Amino acid sequence: MTAVTFRKATLNDLDRLVDLLIRQKRLNEEFDPLLRLREDIAEIGRKYLEEAIKSENSLVVVAEADGRVVGFLKADIKERLFYYPKTEGNIVELYLLPEYRRKGNGVKLLEYAVNILKEKAEIITAEFPSLNEIATRFYTNLNFRAIISTYARETIIKK
Amino acid sequence: MGVELEKSGKDAVRVAPYYAGKYEIVPKIPIKSLRDFAVWYTPGVASVSKAIVESPKLSFEYTSRWNTIAVVTDGTRVLGLGDIGPEAAMPVMEGKAVIFKYLGGVDAIPICLNAREPEKFIEIVKSLEPSFGGINLEDIESPKCFRILDTLRESMQIPVWHDDQLGTASATLAGLINALKIVGKKMGDVRITLLGAGASNVATARILEKAGADPGKLILVDSRGILHAERDDMDELMLKNPWKYELALKTNRERITGGIAEALEGADVLIAASKPGPGVVKKEWIRKMNSDAIVFALANPVPEIWPWDAREAGARIVATGRSDFPNQVNNSLIFPSVFRGALDVKATTITDEMMIRASQALAEYVPEHKLSEDYIIPTMDDWRVYIHVAASVAEQASKQGMARTPLDYDEAYVKAVRIIARARSILERLMEDKFIKPFPEG
Repeated sequence: MTAVTFRKATLNDLDRLVDLLIRQKRLNEEFDPLLRLREDIAEIGRKYLEEAIKSENSLVVVAEADGRVVGFLKADIKERLFYYPKTEGNIVELYLLPEYRRKGNGVKLLEYAVNILKEKAEIITAEFPSLNEIATRFYTNLNFRAIISTYARETIIKK
Repeated sequence: MGVELEKSGKDAVRVAPYYAGKYEIVPKIPIKSLRDFAVWYTPGVASVSKAIVESPKLSFEYTSRWNTIAVVTDGTRVLGLGDIGPEAAMPVMEGKAVIFKYLGGVDAIPICLNAREPEKFIEIVKSLEPSFGGINLEDIESPKCFRILDTLRESMQIPVWHDDQLGTASATLAGLINALKIVGKKMGDVRITLLGAGASNVATARILEKAGADPGKLILVDSRGILHAERDDMDELMLKNPWKYELALKTNRERITGGIAEALEGADVLIAASKPGPGVVKKEWIRKMNSDAIVFALANPVPEIWPWDAREAGARIVATGRSDFPNQVNNSLIFPSVFRGALDVKATTITDEMMIRASQALAEYVPEHKLSEDYIIPTMDDWRVYIHVAASVAEQASKQGMARTPLDYDEAYVKAVRIIARARSILERLMEDKFIKPFPEG
């Protein structure tokens, strides 16, 4: 298998990125019934990624092998209103196709992104579903820890 | 076939209450009076127990454990009947136990567990270890069966076998070894399409790789089509069926997509273990296979494609699961002898190599000069085939250091002959003396 390389995403990657985004969200759905996919996810996802690629305050990077995009990461630059450090690079998407996993590519993808993000952000955060044990393990191994939790319940509690 | 099926079903339900079960336990020690129990039971037996405390291995010498296995199920995937529960699984397990005795001389105790959760099932089976020389798992649904087998194999010091996976896979491998000899192709070169990705074909794919097949040239097809590393249910498989997921990662190097038709284009071998046919595999798909195609259509009671249709469409060798057609790929050719061999050396496990050795032994039992398109696998009628396979398995276990009491081929052969012959003569005598009542005509 050829080496995996990394670069910033362009609008030409959109089709492939939408596919990878949907795969990632579908995986989240497997972990938690409160993350049920919307039917218009393809449309919404495309718009979401397109804006991110164009935006100054977002970063989309792709992992490539054999000239094909095989994974991606999206992060947003945010200001933290009440805390120091004030600037945050918030990783919200990270996905690699199965055959590129367990080979250190995820770590490399993250490091590549962090390297770019550190120009604008003093702290790196990552957002992922609490029940996604794979993500939990991945970030914990890289010395991330939970600082804020999002708890959810439906408005009407079903008995 | 339909008529025959109906007849055997009617007979079975008619005689079930007549015999009220298929086996019973008979002592094998002389008992003339109650006084004898001073030796067989307390106080004498305490000394035997003490000896086992001193050396636990002696439980294989001093008790029936050496020749006794448990046939264990949770009743979640029984025959083609599906999830019928443990009580309804019992007649099937009893039947299996009796085949073990008749063909392999193995004492098999049917155990149907009320334990659907894999963790609970695993715990119970683990706890059975002190009483048995081996465990035969049976009729457990996929993918649960993979985890149960893997966990028990790792954690137990006696052989654990899941016949729906390993038995069928070994018999298939045996047939394929001989089929390839006839067409003059090599295991490492051929493209093999596996239709169905349940217990048996997942096990078959794994063992084919161990036996020299190129995993990149294996193509698995399930109800969602051809399996490949980028199929969009891969993440779901990773969580729910990691065994299939692993196969998706390493098979199908060319990334063929589509269904059965695409999977068969240019394939040398088809191993179908999917759902009863006919018509599951179409003639026009067989036509697209490579020359000298080998077709195993293993669904029961009706193969995925009738043998004559497969032949007409260009298949050179066809095997099925049926005894009324040539080339019956049947796990009954494997499991009695694998356990006979494993028990005879008091094996701690059944390794993949022992399993492959069993397949090779079964294949080589068909002499070269008799090998033909219609004779690639021995039939069940010749009982010496079981002895040969058993001795080969025992020898392999000994070579690999998996035997508590290693034996070479000849020693194992003699032992297996004695045990299987004894089981058969006892049965004959019991029938002669009418302790086993004649089959009632009805």
